[in-house]
Amino acid sequence: MREKTFLESFSRHRLGMIGLIGVSIILLVGIVGPFFVPFPKGYGEAMPLTGPSAENLLGTDALGLDLFSEIIWGARTSILISASAVLVAMFIGIPLGLVSGYSRGKIGALIDSITEITMTIPTLPLMILISALVGPSVRTVAVVIGVFAWPTLARIVRNSTLKVSQMQYIEAAIVLGIPKGSIMFKHIMLNIAGPVVVDITLIMATAVLTESSLSYLGLGDPNVWSWGGILQTAFKAGHHFRAWWLVVFPAASIMLYVIFFNLLGIGINETLNPKSRK
Amino acid sequence: MGRYIVLRLAKGLLTFFVAVTITFLIVRLMPGDPTTALISDSLSPDDALVLKESFGLDKPLYQQYFLFLRNLLKGDLGYSFFYKDSVSSIIGNKLWWTLLLMGSSLFITILIGIPLGVISAKQQGKLLDQIINVAVVIGVSIFVPLLAFLLLYFFSFKLMLTPIGGAYTPGIDPSQMFGSVISHMILPCATLVITYLASTVLYMRNGMLDVLKEDYIRTAKAKGVSDRKVTWSHALRNALIPTVTVTGLMIGKMVAGAVLTETVFSWPGVGTMIYDAVQKQDFPLLQGAFIVLAASVIVMNLITDLIVAWLDPRIKL
Repeated sequence: MREKTFLESFSRHRLGMIGLIGVSIILLVGIVGPFFVPFPKGYGEAMPLTGPSAENLLGTDALGLDLFSEIIWGARTSILISASAVLVAMFIGIPLGLVSGYSRGKIGALIDSITEITMTIPTLPLMILISALVGPSVRTVAVVIGVFAWPTLARIVRNSTLKVSQMQYIEAAIVLGIPKGSIMFKHIMLNIAGPVVVDITLIMATAVLTESSLSYLGLGDPNVWSWGGILQTAFKAGHHFRAWWLVVFPAASIMLYVIFFNLLGIGINETLNPKSRK
Repeated sequence: MGRYIVLRLAKGLLTFFVAVTITFLIVRLMPGDPTTALISDSLSPDDALVLKESFGLDKPLYQQYFLFLRNLLKGDLGYSFFYKDSVSSIIGNKLWWTLLLMGSSLFITILIGIPLGVISAKQQGKLLDQIINVAVVIGVSIFVPLLAFLLLYFFSFKLMLTPIGGAYTPGIDPSQMFGSVISHMILPCATLVITYLASTVLYMRNGMLDVLKEDYIRTAKAKGVSDRKVTWSHALRNALIPTVTVTGLMIGKMVAGAVLTETVFSWPGVGTMIYDAVQKQDFPLLQGAFIVLAASVIVMNLITDLIVAWLDPRIKL
């Protein structure tokens, strides 16, 4: 009997498939949507603070702007920031994890301590301080989130590297005289791609939670729409009790984004290691 | 006793040292003039000059660093722009409220989470376990302000069962203070317990599943020890070890939940203060909040590590 391919096994994972479909829809809406929906700005033509209706599917905000359009533009912001944060986290976490897992010894111990310290300190208050000092912008928020999101990735890369580097083909590569860097970034990297992909989907999820928290606290880029920013405006003006839709829809968008990415991660993980499904 | 505690204390001190050094570097090396971040522009030029000297902003970086550390040791965290008062005395009044909220939530989480995790492990694959699994995925995906708002909306606004916000009714008779604080704490506490619970249950469940496979559990069962006793006394203790370890590591993340929860309920702690400080661009207050929260997290980590050492006889105290 032929071994099942990854995609065949994955397509049988119900929760993973829900995650994949959800993530695809969000990516489609966030990337393509803004080409069809005008950027809400200034004062809207609709009545301010009206609930969901035929003209304004999700209601309007205090300026009479359409909430549905704001949420679609917010999706683009969330995707942009979480994807950039993931890139930053990969750029730091993967090399650190590889080096710590492969060379062990003193450098490995040092990297482990840095990872542990970064995991221990309460990062949200630190991110708040930095964003407030530098001034909120999409770039600041993305970099700040990424700079503190790498420890889980470094940990996972390290643990997988420890396992892989004891395998025979790595020993063979060393005997063949292949340079250390090439062993780490090519031979080992290819074999630990699975857990790395899983962690990346999970970082996408937490990055959006952090991004939304920062903009909810008033540290979002004032020039773009973000789900947390819509909440911040509603809470600050005290509209949250009168206009529930200004809270529920942006917050539900945040949670769906997070749940779908988490489910995708769980699905990939359990397909790669059937044993982890306890 | 000695060696482990000394090592653990050293690790805690090192972490704190790294945290304050990061803060120092961020404030000095960020684009622009650090004076704008440390000294309010509403001060008179003379007062500003005095403050500038106290920070050593006219001296080289390494001297500023020593000055910064020395001030920190004296408990001097700078001077708030908005409150025109020392940061340490402002935060000193707020920190207890945050620790009270976080501490009670953590306590309740452990009280509920551990039995739930054990039950989930014992019922592995059955309906209850599946329900708990789905709840865990939703739990780790919760956006705290939404949960807080929903609880506030239904219980305080619609049903009028709980207070709208704050930590006690202002001007209340001191004899009724305790009850007042409890009633104000129900919703913020519930918010945090729900957000913390998911990962505690998950780790407890997986820890339990690992332990139940061990040989000594089979031996105990073979010797005729009842299933209940094996689960709740033999296995529980060892399954607790990874759970407490992970809980300790997560305290830093839990601070984020507490900050967000406080803002929705106007809880008079460090979280609400941070929110106000962001709106008012009060940088010294934000810097002080991070340093104090980092110190609190490190102390709580230390406590959980001591609990792990007590649970795990392989770690020699």
